[in-house]
Amino acid sequence: MNRKEFLADCGKKGLAGVALSMFPWLESCSDKAQQEVKGEKARIGMIGTGSRGLYHIKNLLRMPNVEMVALCDDYRPHLEDAAQYFPKAKLYDDYRKLLEDKNVDGVIVTTPLYLHGRMTMDALRAGKRVFCEKSMAFTLDEALEVYNCRKELNGVLFIGQQRLFDPKYAKAMQMVHEGKIGKVVGIRNYWYRNNDWRREVPSPELERRINWRLYSEYSRGLMTELACHHLQNGSWAMGMLPEKVMGSGSLLHWNKDGRDVYDAVSAIFTYPNGVNMTFESIISNKHFGMGEQILGTEGTIDLVTCMHYTDEPAPKGSGMHQLVAQIESGVMSNSVFAGTSWAAETSALAPGMPIMDNVTISTGESTVGAEADGSIEIMEAFVHAVITGKQPAKVLEESYYATQFALLADRAMHEGAILTLDDKYKIPYEPLR
Amino acid sequence: MAAISYSRKNPDYPVVYSSFGAMHTRVELLAVGLSEEQGRALMTEAEQEVKRLERLFNCHDSRSPLAVVNATAAGQSVKVEDELFMALELCEVFRRATGGYFDVTAVDENAESRGENRGGYALDGKEHKVRLLREGEMIDLGGFAKGYAAESVRQIFEREGVKQAVINFGNSSIVAMGHHPYGEWWPIGVKHRKVRSAVAREVRLKDSAMSMSGQAENGEYHIVNPMTGDCAMGEELILVEGRSALVAEVLSTALYAAPRNMRKTIMAQYEGYVASEIYCRADGSTECREIVR
Ligand SMILES: NC(=O)c1ccc[n+]([C@@H]2O[C@H](COP(=O)([O-])OP(=O)(O)OC[C@H]3O[C@@H](n4cnc5c(N)ncnc54)[C@H](O)[C@@H]3O)[C@@H](O)[C@H]2O)c1
Repeated sequence: MNRKEFLADCGKKGLAGVALSMFPWLESCSDKAQQEVKGEKARIGMIGTGSRGLYHIKNLLRMPNVEMVALCDDYRPHLEDAAQYFPKAKLYDDYRKLLEDKNVDGVIVTTPLYLHGRMTMDALRAGKRVFCEKSMAFTLDEALEVYNCRKELNGVLFIGQQRLFDPKYAKAMQMVHEGKIGKVVGIRNYWYRNNDWRREVPSPELERRINWRLYSEYSRGLMTELACHHLQNGSWAMGMLPEKVMGSGSLLHWNKDGRDVYDAVSAIFTYPNGVNMTFESIISNKHFGMGEQILGTEGTIDLVTCMHYTDEPAPKGSGMHQLVAQIESGVMSNSVFAGTSWAAETSALAPGMPIMDNVTISTGESTVGAEADGSIEIMEAFVHAVITGKQPAKVLEESYYATQFALLADRAMHEGAILTLDDKYKIPYEPLR
Repeated sequence: MAAISYSRKNPDYPVVYSSFGAMHTRVELLAVGLSEEQGRALMTEAEQEVKRLERLFNCHDSRSPLAVVNATAAGQSVKVEDELFMALELCEVFRRATGGYFDVTAVDENAESRGENRGGYALDGKEHKVRLLREGEMIDLGGFAKGYAAESVRQIFEREGVKQAVINFGNSSIVAMGHHPYGEWWPIGVKHRKVRSAVAREVRLKDSAMSMSGQAENGEYHIVNPMTGDCAMGEELILVEGRSALVAEVLSTALYAAPRNMRKTIMAQYEGYVASEIYCRADGSTECREIVR
């Protein structure tokens, strides 16, 4: 797919139907913005060419504004995998050397979590514009450091929270903000898989390097790897941040291979208005897959299946309501409602309406990346920002808090305590709407 | 449970309105001229009746009598309760009377026997027994149940003396009793899913019913052509108007499944019913062509 097709497709998928004024950070995906950078090149270097790195590479290949000039990985086989796609790119095994490369304008960091903060800050200080995968940093202090570093240097920083750029989510959140489901009273997130979450290891001494996710020396497990994608749903929907965090985690099933991060977690985030958001992940049962649901007094939005359910089966304003209103006021006029069946597809209990046509639904099974989940859009926006030097509004703050609350919940689980985010970690926050 | 509302804003014509989810869609009922007590009781009874029929006809619920037939009646005759038997009899009559294009066994699940001239079951009228003709055969009454239930609700309303009412099953099967209090008919606009703003046609219902078939609101095609086993994928909508909601529903389904050149032949057997094809043109306007008998 070339850019034109991609953007046309984007329109079909719904960016066109999303009021860009409500989502200013999506502006760089618009036709107009893409026109602005036509013919210009973003010279990009990538640090960490593992599985997510390769996933981005495959998308970057289709973006005409991109020139991949440098690749870095300290594990040779991965570096070589990526090099095949860009025979002209310079190869590095030390990321600091890549940062010294004057031909690199933008840097994509796709390394394990414990390296994100350091690499991002080094890149910003080297004058690069940076896209770093989620989560933003390994500790609460480090996340704040990264945030301040970007602010001081007035640099460009994107964190790989691609849902913020997914047209389905934008459209659904717009509906929430317009009051389509009434007052938000709950948010449920879950992510279930049934596998050991391991990668194949060519020889035993590589275990910790390849399976870094499973060790607390490099990763905070399910909270930083999965939950951070969901935790922005509450703040995005309600425009406020959680006040209290509690949780429980355990090493329940995959506990024989020496890993030390939880394989089952449940967390509750309570907002100042009393609403709870939950996150639960279990990786030894996958029946329910992935779910992200916003519960309102008048309806429910399922973000994953992109469906809208109303608690009252007939929303006010239906054709039959019009008939009632006509009779009440003593008039007759045409009321238009006949059509092909209004079908409930996903649940026999409550008929729902798709929020958008032709959506691709993610099961959450892939550990590399889902299809049509905003990952292309966010990368497009980053490429745009590498060229223009403009940091989009609000999204970094949203990503920052997603990371902070993922880390805070992880701490709450380890301490068995109910925690609040210390004031020193609070940054200026403006709701996404 | 239904949301029932009663309005006396217009003292000449009080209205009771109810809506609830059933049969994978939304049911909306409206009746004029009843007391509040009578209106609420009527709506409750109607909902119970629809839910009863849903349980009886739902092949996806393993406890339903129909699911039991699907699970056990392959190669052997199974006795079924009278109402289900009658429904299966009716379906068989409709199958023959639509040249085979209305077929409750023409469902995706029966893909293996695709393309055969179908009719997937045999009935024993004396014993009220049904036998599925092929292993793994499945009966799906989805294309029948809404029309049948709409008729049943109409009968309840009639029995209770209702003179003016609209019974709406998911916007695709609509029954009107009497006429709008301020007109000579109930005016129902038809929309094409592609052009939400424009009215493709105004149907005037008076003691009559209508049914629509075609690509569903969510873009899915779900009507199978029994002769090929494939989903019919016409861009047009089929609109059928006539006395009975059940016949209208059966006809709209059969006509949509059938190739265009077969449609006249099918309609030739149905006096008192009018069918049209509604097309959406490239410029967004719509065109309604009657299928002349
Ligand atoms: N946004 C998403 O949906 C999504 C999906 C998958 C992964 N991710 C994120 O992407 C990041 C990478 O995950 P992955 O699955 O690709 O892991 P991976 O292990 O496959 O890749 C990481 C790569 O970094 C390299 N690396 C490690 N230390 C290095 C160093 N010091 N210098 C240079 N390279 C180094 C490794 O050799 C490896 O090739 C993680 O933060 C993960 O959370 C995000």
